[in-house]
Amino acid sequence: MTTLTPSGRTGRNSGGARIGRPSFLWSMPAITFFALFAIVPLGVVAWLSFTSWDAIGSPHWVGTANWSAMFSDPIFLKSFRITALLTALGIVTQTPVSLLIGVWAAGPQRNRGILSALYFIPLLMSSLAISVVWVSLLNPYFGLPHELHAVFGGGLFNDGFLFSSPTTAIGVLTFVGMWQWTPFHTLIYQGGARAIPDVLYQAAAIDGAGRVRQFFYITLPQLRNTMMTSIVLMLVGGLTTFDTILVLTQGQPGTSTTSAAYYMYTKAFQSFQFGNASVIAVVLAVFTTLVSLVVVRVSGWDKMRSTQEGV
Amino acid sequence: MVISRQRLWHGAAVSGAALLAGVAVSACGASASAKTTIKAKAASARPAGKITVLVYGDAQNSVEKWEVAQYNKTPEGHKVKAVFESIPGADYQTKLQTIMSTSSAPDIFFNWGGGSIEQFQKAGLLMPLNGMMKANPKLKTSFLPSILNAAKIGKNYYGIPMRGTQPVVLFYDKALLRKDGVPVPKTWAQLLSDAKTLKRKGVSVPIADGGGDQWPTQMWFEYVYDRIAGPSLVTDGLAGNRKVWASAASRKALAYIKQLVQSGAFGPAKSWDSVKFTSGQTAQMMVNGISAFELMGSWDYSTIQSQGSTATGTNPPNGPGAAFVKDGKLGWTAFPSIPGGKGNSADLAGNTENYYSVLAKTRYPQAVADFLKIMYTPAFVKNELALGNLTTTKNTPKLISGPSAGWLRWQYELVNHAPHFQLSWDQAYPQTDTNTIHTAVANYFDDLNANQFIKAMESLRPAA
Repeated sequence: MTTLTPSGRTGRNSGGARIGRPSFLWSMPAITFFALFAIVPLGVVAWLSFTSWDAIGSPHWVGTANWSAMFSDPIFLKSFRITALLTALGIVTQTPVSLLIGVWAAGPQRNRGILSALYFIPLLMSSLAISVVWVSLLNPYFGLPHELHAVFGGGLFNDGFLFSSPTTAIGVLTFVGMWQWTPFHTLIYQGGARAIPDVLYQAAAIDGAGRVRQFFYITLPQLRNTMMTSIVLMLVGGLTTFDTILVLTQGQPGTSTTSAAYYMYTKAFQSFQFGNASVIAVVLAVFTTLVSLVVVRVSGWDKMRSTQEGV
Repeated sequence: MVISRQRLWHGAAVSGAALLAGVAVSACGASASAKTTIKAKAASARPAGKITVLVYGDAQNSVEKWEVAQYNKTPEGHKVKAVFESIPGADYQTKLQTIMSTSSAPDIFFNWGGGSIEQFQKAGLLMPLNGMMKANPKLKTSFLPSILNAAKIGKNYYGIPMRGTQPVVLFYDKALLRKDGVPVPKTWAQLLSDAKTLKRKGVSVPIADGGGDQWPTQMWFEYVYDRIAGPSLVTDGLAGNRKVWASAASRKALAYIKQLVQSGAFGPAKSWDSVKFTSGQTAQMMVNGISAFELMGSWDYSTIQSQGSTATGTNPPNGPGAAFVKDGKLGWTAFPSIPGGKGNSADLAGNTENYYSVLAKTRYPQAVADFLKIMYTPAFVKNELALGNLTTTKNTPKLISGPSAGWLRWQYELVNHAPHFQLSWDQAYPQTDTNTIHTAVANYFDDLNANQFIKAMESLRPAA
C-alpha cells in the first residue's frame, strides 16, 4: 500500500478510467478470508473423498472407490431428488405467502406495523427450537392431530400420523420451513414494496386501475429484482436444509426425507465414513453452484437493471 | 544414535513391564515420571501433572465429579491432578471418536464397552487393564464377571464398570391390565392374546414403540432373536459370520416379529414412526392409558416417573408420571419366553454397563489405577444408587435402600442370574454400523420384508 500511494495510481483524487477501481491488493482481506474458510476446506473435502477415514488415525488413499460406491447407492441418488423436491416446495409455498404479506405490511397503517412485528417472531427463534415445538404439536396422540381430529382424521393427513407416510412427512417439513422462513422473505418484500414510488400508483389510479390491477401491473413488475433475491436465498437455503430434518423426521419414514445434507451428516457423524460423506459434500457443492449459476443466467440477475428507469 | 538407544531402552522397559504384569503398574509409572532422559515421544505428548476424565454429559455427572474430587484428596491425587470433562449427551460418541487420536484425547473415558471401544482397541489406543487387575485383584473381583466380560476384547479387559446396568424389560400398566382382565404375559402367545384383548377393550396401541427413534424397535429384535435362536446367533454374527442372518432360526424370529406387528399390537401400520421415546411421547402414552406395555431399558422407570413433571434441579418429579409410579400402577416383567425356542428365558438384552477405559498412552498409569479403585467403594455405590443407577459391584445388594429398592433389587437379581446378557446390537457392533442396524429394524417393522432385513444385516462388518 505505502509503495503505491506516492505514485498516486490508486489515490483518491486520481482521475480517468481508474476512478473507484482500487488495486487488487484491496480485495486481499476478503480473498484470504474466502480462501481460508471456503476454498481450502473445499479442497480438503475433495481430497478426503478419495480416502477412507473414520476419524481415528489418518486417512488412506482409496482412489475412486468412494465415488463408485456412492453413485451405485440408491439412497444417495434419491437424496438429491428429495433435496430438489423440498427446495421446490419451499419456493412454491413461501414465495406467494411472503409476497402477499410483504406487500400488505408495506402499507402505512399503524396496525400493519404492529402485526408485522408479530409475524416476525418465528425468525427470532432457532431452527432447533422451532422443530422441537412442532414435534410436540404434531404428536398423533396428544398434539393437534388428536385435538383437531375432524381436520386431521382423513387420508390427506394420514389419519394424524404425519411422520408415518412419506407424503405427509415432506408436507410437515415444507410447512415448518414456511412457518419459519416466511417472515424473513416477507421482510424483503416489505422493503421492496416500500421502495416503489407512490407516483406510479397515483398515475394508475387516475387511469382507473383498481387494487388488483395495480398489484399485477405495478407492484409485481417492480418487485421483480426483489423476487429474484428472495428466490435465490430460498434456493441456497433449501438445498442445504439440515437442522429441521434432524429434529423433525431424522430422514424417516424409511429414507423418504433423507436429503443430501442429512445423508451427508449420517455418513460422516453416525457411520464415520468420512470418505463417502465427502463425496456427497463435493457433489452437493457442485450441484448448488450449478443451480445458482443457472438461476442467475436465466433470470438475468447478473445484469440486473433498475426497475425505476424513467420514473 | 542417542535417540535410537533411548527408544530401545523405553521399548525394553515397556515390554518388560508387560511381562512382569505384577510390577507393570509401578514400573510404568516410574518410567513415565523418571525425568527428562527417558521422555519418549508418546509420553511427552501428554500433558504433565494431570489426568483427564471424560464422561457423557448428563444429569448424572454429580457422581463423576465426586469421584474426581475424591481422588484428588488422595496422596497420589496431590501429585497428579484428575480433571473432570464432559461432552453433552447425544454427541458423545461422535466427538469422542474425533479426539481419540489427537493430543487432547482423555486419559480415562466413559463408554458402553463392546463395539463402542472396539475400533479404539484395534487402533492400539486402549490400555489392557489386566496388569492393574493383577496388581490390585479387587479391581476385578469386586464386579459381576458377566459385566466385566462385556468390555473384554480377546483375553484383555478394557473397562471398569462406572455407572449402572440397564437391562431392557417389559414395562406395563398394572391398573389397565387389571381393569381389562389381562394377565401379565409370561409367554409370547400370552403377549399376543393380551394385545388382542386390550385392543378389543379400547386400548388403541397396546404396546408403545418409539419407532421414530428407531433404536427402541431394535429391542424387540434383540429379545425375539435370543428367545428363538439362543444367544449364539448374534454372537456368531458379531464374530463375523454373516450367514447367520439368513438361517432358518433368523427367519423364524422375523416371522414371530411380523406376527406381532401385523396383529396391530403396536397400533395401526407405521403409526409408530410418528412416535418417539426421546421426546417423552411413549412415556406419555403409558401414563395416559393409550398403551399398556412398553419394552424399554431400565431408565424408562425414571422417564415415566418424570413424565409431565415441572420440577427442576434435584426436586422430586411432581407430574402425572410421578403419580402413576407412586400409585403402584407401573409394573415390570422379564421379556416373555417363547416355548420351543433355544434361548433361555432368563437371558437379558440391553446396556450391560458403562465403563471407564484407559488411553494406552496415558502418562500416569499409577494415578489412573488409583482413580479406578473408587469404582468399588461403598460410598461410590451409594451415590450411584441414590441417582437410581444399579451398580454392578458385588456389594450392591447390601447397599440398596429407599423408595425404589424393590425395583432395584429385582433388576439386580435379574442381571445376577442371567445366563447371557446381550449388549444392545447398536452398541455391540462398531459405531460405523449403527445407522445400518437402525434403518434395518425400522424398515422391517414398516415393510415386513425379511429378505431386505437379512441383506442389511449381512452388510454389517464388511471384511476389513
